[in-house]
Amino acid sequence: MKAAASLQRQLVYGLTLGIVVFWLVAALVSGLVVQHRLDRVFDNAMQEAAQRILPLAVLDILNREEPGPPQRVAPLHAGQTGFAYLVRDRQGNILLQSFSADPAVFDPRSTMGFTSTATHRLYSASALRETLFLQIAEPLGYRRQAVLDATVALLVPLLLLIPASLIGIWMFVHFSLRSVRAYRQAIESRGAGNLSAIPLHGLAEEITPIADAVNRLIERLRRALETERRFTANSAHELRTPLAAALAQVQRLRHDAPAGPLQDRAIQIETSLRELSRLSEKLMQLAKAEGGGVLSETPQDLVVLLSHVVRDLQRTAPVPIELALPPGGVVLSRIDADAFAILARNLIENALKHGAPDCAIEVDLSENARLGVVNAGTVVLAADLAQLTGHFVRGGSRAAGFGLGLAIVSTIAHGVGAELTFASPATGRADGFEATVQFVLDRQCRSDHPSS
Amino acid sequence: MRVLLIEDNADLGQAVREQIADDGHAVDWVQRLAHADLGAQTTPYDLILLDLMLPDGRGIDFLRQRRASGDTTPVIILTARDQLSDRIEGLNAGADDYLVKPFDLSELSARVAAVTRRYSGNPNPQIQLGELRINLADRTIRRGEVAIDLTAREWALFETFLQRPGALFSKAQLEERLYEFGAEIESNTIEVHISHLRKKLGFKVVETVRGVGYRLGVA
Repeated sequence: MKAAASLQRQLVYGLTLGIVVFWLVAALVSGLVVQHRLDRVFDNAMQEAAQRILPLAVLDILNREEPGPPQRVAPLHAGQTGFAYLVRDRQGNILLQSFSADPAVFDPRSTMGFTSTATHRLYSASALRETLFLQIAEPLGYRRQAVLDATVALLVPLLLLIPASLIGIWMFVHFSLRSVRAYRQAIESRGAGNLSAIPLHGLAEEITPIADAVNRLIERLRRALETERRFTANSAHELRTPLAAALAQVQRLRHDAPAGPLQDRAIQIETSLRELSRLSEKLMQLAKAEGGGVLSETPQDLVVLLSHVVRDLQRTAPVPIELALPPGGVVLSRIDADAFAILARNLIENALKHGAPDCAIEVDLSENARLGVVNAGTVVLAADLAQLTGHFVRGGSRAAGFGLGLAIVSTIAHGVGAELTFASPATGRADGFEATVQFVLDRQCRSDHPSS
Repeated sequence: MRVLLIEDNADLGQAVREQIADDGHAVDWVQRLAHADLGAQTTPYDLILLDLMLPDGRGIDFLRQRRASGDTTPVIILTARDQLSDRIEGLNAGADDYLVKPFDLSELSARVAAVTRRYSGNPNPQIQLGELRINLADRTIRRGEVAIDLTAREWALFETFLQRPGALFSKAQLEERLYEFGAEIESNTIEVHISHLRKKLGFKVVETVRGVGYRLGVA
């Protein structure tokens, strides 16, 4: 399964990327604006220079006594750079040129005003009724360098902006999502059986509808489970009462009937009714186990529950049931009280049914919520042990039963996240059978429990 | 012993009443809590057998009311609600025992006997009275190796004396304990039963206090 994306990470990266793209576009637009402005400034400078140079050049040319080779103006200082110029006559002969002027970059055919070549920006002007022509050339590299410098000046802060943005947005998003984190923690920290509503206070407006929907869902689930529990309990009640009436009536009939065929028939009916009662009991227990109501919203003290179950069974058990409880006296786990009673009762009844007839059953609950039930008796084959939790599986035993008891135990254990294991021979013995259920201990509540 | 049975199912109620009556006790059977409330206020019952789901209310509420009013009559809950939580609720409400339907009538008889023994102050079912060895659990009496048989009424009468040794019972009190409402009682019924007890167990087993009543003697 693909791992869920982090909302915080998405927001941090997304917002940072957005800011970077926005900044780059801003830098590009700024560069273009700067380039446009610089072109105008440089063009104005070229134009002004031409207006100043041209009268001087004309004067210089007119003052010549005789025509000669083109005159080159000396530089004001060594390493002088910048624009170059030259003056031609109508025939295109160069009359005057600046120190750095390279005639190759000038275009004698260029029209008046501004033109551009691949490498230079040119400005042409004329004097003396278009008998003298001045051309100024300026390398485009200057302008490009200026635009580049301005753009770089805009981009350099981006190097600081990216990490600063990442950290700032991360902190802001982290702060803004604190209510979502609190909500997540509230869900994570509750037990699987806790179906109470999750508090909504402090949640952001966008999250509240989701949390509302979750709470409504939890409430519906809680009601559904409650209805299922009630239905199971009521079904049990509706079924048991007529069974009890029939069993009681047939027992009275057996009592009143004279010895003979009528009494024998009454005994047969009574036996069938007992079997029907037991089967319906097991099926109802299985229905409860397979329903969703085996977990408890509040932790239950297994010591109290187990004591009740064992005390009840001790009244009718044909062999002693020895109960060992932890000295601390409180073992808490989130299991429904009735589900635990059904589980414990089935384990002990299984031990009574299949154990050696003259040996006590040992029931032990440890401090870490480990329930063990041990009976003496013949060793169960390893192959049979693995099959014991199936429905209507009787493990090769000849004892009366429907083979549902351990299936019910297994279903409840699975439902509450407990681990059920079987061993035969039992631990520390040469024979017998041992069933162990390791429940999930509710440690936090245990430490909070007033009597722990 | 006088027993109040509160059970709305006719078939079950009839069978339970017959079983308890066969054990020698007087049983008043009602099917509504309202009738039970009336009966409990007017008659000193020794035991109440209480169903929890009744047409006019919950048996558990009836039990709580009785206990809240100071009534200490032993109560055994007979119910189809088998959940441990129901059982704990019933016992916490003041029930002495809890029997889940369907149950064996013999189991019911045993529970009735156990609860009444507990209330008599001597939960031990083995009683030695002079030469008599009495077992209240399996309802046997032996003098040496000889078993003595009593009828259900004789047992109920003898058990009444055994539960409260030394206490005086008037003839009316004994009639009230042995016979339910509406039962036809001859004027000398109690005397006849006591006479039978004396013949079977010994003349001094029941003492007559002239003009007052009867009490347990020695065998």
